[in-house]
Amino acid sequence: MTEEWPVVRGDMKVGRKDSRIAVVTLASDFAPFADAALSGPCKTENLGIEKIIANTISNPDIRYILICGSESRGHLPGNTLLALHRNGIDGNGRIVGSDGAIPFIENLQRDAIERFQGQVQLIDRIGTTDLGEIDNIVREHANKGERYPEEPMYVIEKKKKAPAASRECVSGDILIDSDLVMDAGAGIIYSAQEA
Amino acid sequence: MFVFKKELQVLNIAGIKIGGQPGERPAVLAGTIFYERHSIVTDAKKGLFDRKAAEALINRQEACADETGNPCLVHIYGSTDEAIIRYIDFVCNVSDSPFLLDSTEAAARIAAVRYVSEVGIADKSVYNSLNMSVTPGERQALSDSDVDASIVLGFNAMDSSLAGRMALLDSGGGVFDRGLLAIAGECGIKKILIDPSITPMGSGAGVALRMSLVAKAKWGLPITSGIHNAPSSWTWLRAKKQEEPMIYKVCSVGSACLALAAAADLVLYGPIENARFVFPLAAMSDIMLAESNADLDISQVEGHPIQKLV
Repeated sequence: MTEEWPVVRGDMKVGRKDSRIAVVTLASDFAPFADAALSGPCKTENLGIEKIIANTISNPDIRYILICGSESRGHLPGNTLLALHRNGIDGNGRIVGSDGAIPFIENLQRDAIERFQGQVQLIDRIGTTDLGEIDNIVREHANKGERYPEEPMYVIEKKKKAPAASRECVSGDILIDSDLVMDAGAGIIYSAQEA
Repeated sequence: MFVFKKELQVLNIAGIKIGGQPGERPAVLAGTIFYERHSIVTDAKKGLFDRKAAEALINRQEACADETGNPCLVHIYGSTDEAIIRYIDFVCNVSDSPFLLDSTEAAARIAAVRYVSEVGIADKSVYNSLNMSVTPGERQALSDSDVDASIVLGFNAMDSSLAGRMALLDSGGGVFDRGLLAIAGECGIKKILIDPSITPMGSGAGVALRMSLVAKAKWGLPITSGIHNAPSSWTWLRAKKQEEPMIYKVCSVGSACLALAAAADLVLYGPIENARFVFPLAAMSDIMLAESNADLDISQVEGHPIQKLV
């Protein structure tokens, strides 16, 4: 890895970067697992999942992701991560087969999802909060298998938003002063005389 | 600082007025009780909790509201149908304040709207929220209920830009074949509060501020915001919290100022324990906004903080 890793910051803590396993603890907050490349919570079924994918495919050493801890109610990121790995996304970015409330991928392209599916195996221990059991799984997989035989894939740039339709003022819909208005949509404050 | 050209709607939720021009009405504040990991909750599934402590928290919020003139709602969060019904019962027994019905579980939200309709307290309740994950069962339950007030959430997971959030509400934004505001109307919601939705810091949290202005200018509806969710999602700040908890609290409470400066009418400020900090802050914002609009023909309603506190 030539770039700084993890590429997306969040609640995940770095352990041994060359470990073969990362640990997603869902809604549970456990102390970091030193033998895991990355470990920490994931509480949402959209942005949280995106961060896991971005940090996984940018580190080819990671070949396993252990999903454990208490599921985040309603959001169901654990269920969603399993569904994503199994089924991918549809044309609208919806994660196929997820039971989560709003399971969408917005900021990653399909090739990133495919890379994630190919690079890692998921270990489903949703609901497991026994730290000894989790630690055993981590140690069992920390050196297991080979590095993924491709270069790191970096996807940290957000999908480009469509530019605002226009920087031109259409209408002053917020009055600031007798001759000063704001077009809320364009986000511009201007003299009413210019309208 | 500014006034909206659009005629603005003012909602009446069991006597509490929400909406209007910046500086006109005091901000309405809602503290959350029984939230996840709330220390007073002993069994989140069954809805068991320390009743004395809960009553004290609700009373303190109401005392703060009386002192500053900022009306309050109780934001009830329950993770199961059993729990949320127990919480609603309790809140109605100890308080006359209107309340928000909130859960991450659709089943619990549905149970809540059925319950408040059955026992005749639907007029005090605000549904939180109709959003892009709305289920057919939820729509039906709302249609069949007496609940007529709801927050409509502008969160668009397919396109989190301002345009995407606005499109979700207006035309469906590719998620629905019509806007979420129209869907709310079909569910019998007559009192709509728009929540521009707070995404995490670094993932567009600030878009919500601009959307507050744009949505209010476009529809004239009251704006609500759970803006404290921005600092609470900020990993850097959480690390600072370990160093000094007050740093986190200042950001969490202070975020309300940003929402109010961006014309929000109702702030869901997070843990109800923060009431004694948030109410003075909101009152300060209200006074400043009122003074900023003094020469824009905006006068204040009776009981506004500018009349009570300065």
